[in-house]
Amino acid sequence: MQHLKINDNKGFYQIEPNQWKEIDKIDKEDLMLLLDKAIESEFEMDKFEADKISNKAHSIIYRNLYEKFSELSENKNRFKDESELLYKNAFDKYSQIESNETDEG
Amino acid sequence: MKKIDLHIHTKASITDADFSFSLDKLKEYVETLKIDCIAVTNHNLFDLEQFQEIFRELSCKVLPGVEINLEKGHLLLISENTELEEFESKCKKVEILIENKDDYISVAQLTEIFGDLSRYLLIPHYDKAKVIRQETIDELSSYISAGEVGSPRKFTYCIKNPQSLVPVLFSDLRFKEEMTEFSPRQTFIDIDDTSVRAIKICLADKDKVFLTESEGHRFFQVFENGQKLSNGLNVILGKRSSGKSFTLKRIYRDFDNVKFIEQFELLEKNEEKDKKRFNDLLSTKQNSVSEEYLKEFKEVVDDILKIDHVENEKAVENYLDSLLKVASEEEKKDVYSKCALFNESKFIESENEGLKRLIDSTQMLIDNIEYRDIIDKHVSKESLRELIIDLILKYRELQELNQKQLWVNSIISNIKIELKSNTAYSSIDEIDFYQIQFDKIKLLKFSDIVSSVKKERIIKQNEVRRFKIVASTKLFKGAQELLDKSGKKTRFKDAFDKYENPIEYLDELKQIEVLPETDYYKYFIEIEYMILNEHGVEVSGGERSEFNLLEKIQNAHHFDMLLIDEPESSFDNLFLKNDVNEQIKEIAKSMPVIIVTHNNTVGASIQPNYILYTKREIIDKKAVYKIFSGNPSDPELMTIDGEKIENYEIMLNCLEAGDSAYNERGKSYATLKD
Repeated sequence: MQHLKINDNKGFYQIEPNQWKEIDKIDKEDLMLLLDKAIESEFEMDKFEADKISNKAHSIIYRNLYEKFSELSENKNRFKDESELLYKNAFDKYSQIESNETDEG
Repeated sequence: MKKIDLHIHTKASITDADFSFSLDKLKEYVETLKIDCIAVTNHNLFDLEQFQEIFRELSCKVLPGVEINLEKGHLLLISENTELEEFESKCKKVEILIENKDDYISVAQLTEIFGDLSRYLLIPHYDKAKVIRQETIDELSSYISAGEVGSPRKFTYCIKNPQSLVPVLFSDLRFKEEMTEFSPRQTFIDIDDTSVRAIKICLADKDKVFLTESEGHRFFQVFENGQKLSNGLNVILGKRSSGKSFTLKRIYRDFDNVKFIEQFELLEKNEEKDKKRFNDLLSTKQNSVSEEYLKEFKEVVDDILKIDHVENEKAVENYLDSLLKVASEEEKKDVYSKCALFNESKFIESENEGLKRLIDSTQMLIDNIEYRDIIDKHVSKESLRELIIDLILKYRELQELNQKQLWVNSIISNIKIELKSNTAYSSIDEIDFYQIQFDKIKLLKFSDIVSSVKKERIIKQNEVRRFKIVASTKLFKGAQELLDKSGKKTRFKDAFDKYENPIEYLDELKQIEVLPETDYYKYFIEIEYMILNEHGVEVSGGERSEFNLLEKIQNAHHFDMLLIDEPESSFDNLFLKNDVNEQIKEIAKSMPVIIVTHNNTVGASIQPNYILYTKREIIDKKAVYKIFSGNPSDPELMTIDGEKIENYEIMLNCLEAGDSAYNERGKSYATLKD
């Protein structure tokens, strides 16, 4: 799904289909939701081109988002991977017992 | 019985200080102390030429040997007096390997160089400096049965301890021209022949080694003429200037690790000064009590130090200012300041410490073995396992969220910086109210804790014999007391002015540059130590001396011998009889104790194991000092040369000022009693 687009010299974002909003309205909660979308599914966006957004504020926000989300697409699982390293030994040990017991049972 | 000394030095090496060997002194030593067998054991070297000269000149048996730096310790390796060239070439290999005094060879190298070790007599330093570690001894256990010790006390200890090697005591002397007297550290062994083979067999049996020729383990030799002392309690009696103190000082000089309590040493000379010194000493010794008491408080102070409350207050002020400014500029908003992210705050990072602790605690419940049955009774292992899995999953979820929020935060801050750089419009300052409020609560808590810490109270009482050591907390009464506490050149006036307000006081302490941050907690309350007597009253000067004496006798346990010179000159009889005698007898069960006295309380009531009587005689206008000795029950005491003196007469003369005075006193007491 496409989440960032450029139209009429302005930047837009949408979290759910057909709910495009101007990019200067984006706040931190929306950013978190976009991040989740980027991790869960395909995250499409228009390439940032400075001369296509004349609104300076929109341009600043769009460029930053574009860069960050492009970077993220190369390593989508980093948050999950990092968190799964926490208490790995204990987790593996105790969940192992569970599956063994289930097998035997 | 043969008297052996298998550890002597005749040549300096890099391991010891330089000295020039005197063959005449070695000869004199062997003859004076009537030694039957010696071994030449220089550090990591064997000089064949010198050895042969010693062998030719000496009347006793001389064995070739070497003292080797082995695995961080020292080992004596002694050979039969044959195949000397081969022995020399082996020692040469050791000499090459030891380039510095801290170099050592390994057991493997030792075996490689000397081959079959059963050909030699191996004696490690056992209870003596440069000790060979037990694991090395274990490695060489087939070749080692005896170990060298450093004192008669350690010798006796090894004899009594079934786990110990057979002890041997040797002189370890360096023979040089300027020597005036010789160490009496040799070992007697029950043997007729002094071959290495025979010595080895003998040194495998504790019943065959002794410190004296005929007295078993009860005595040891103290002087080169064969004078012996009991391994227990010895009393030296004698008239003034008969050589009592001289004898004591000589023992102190000749033996290592001796505790000597000198005459009048414990008597106070300047009450004020002595009291301060005593209290300082007490504080140092009791330091662990203070540390223990203030341990938690120190942690609180260390944590409070991380809070910059001035900075926090400033942050709130700045936040309010920026908020007002933004409100007043509302109508001037431009494209940049209109963006939602322009005034967006960041997500606050959470450490999830509580959850982490919960996981660790659950882990403890799962792992605990000691109280397994109680835990199992209330929570099944299965539940605990499910619990820990759920907790870990929750923790991962929160940490994942955290990571995402951090990622979003970085976007927010980058965008904000760019937006701000394009507009003159004010933004609202970032502020972490949670942290600021948390710090504030901490500071309030800190003030509460300080006021409880500052309540004066007794924190610990310790009974030490008839004394009681009391540790109590006391408020600082002025800047001078703080200064004395710090021991530094600085001023505490400003700090002390704020002593009543913990937060401001801590701020002032921070201003004192020379004060280490880790010490701030010490300046809130002083911990004072006092010694009370049996009546609960702070001790007097005399009682302080008594306490010191008892402490010194007690601490003598760390030494190998205890010498006390005329304790009666500083203390009264009741104290000596009730407190001191009992302790001295106790300590004499584990080490030789030698007391010089004139006093019947010490001399007779203490029931010594052995008595020495020193006497000065003028023979041909020259003073000759004699020592008579014997058991307290012997009718006569005897010198080494066999001269005798009546025991009863000495006891009465020295301790009771003679027969007539003794009878006279008896009569007086009887009259008083009637």
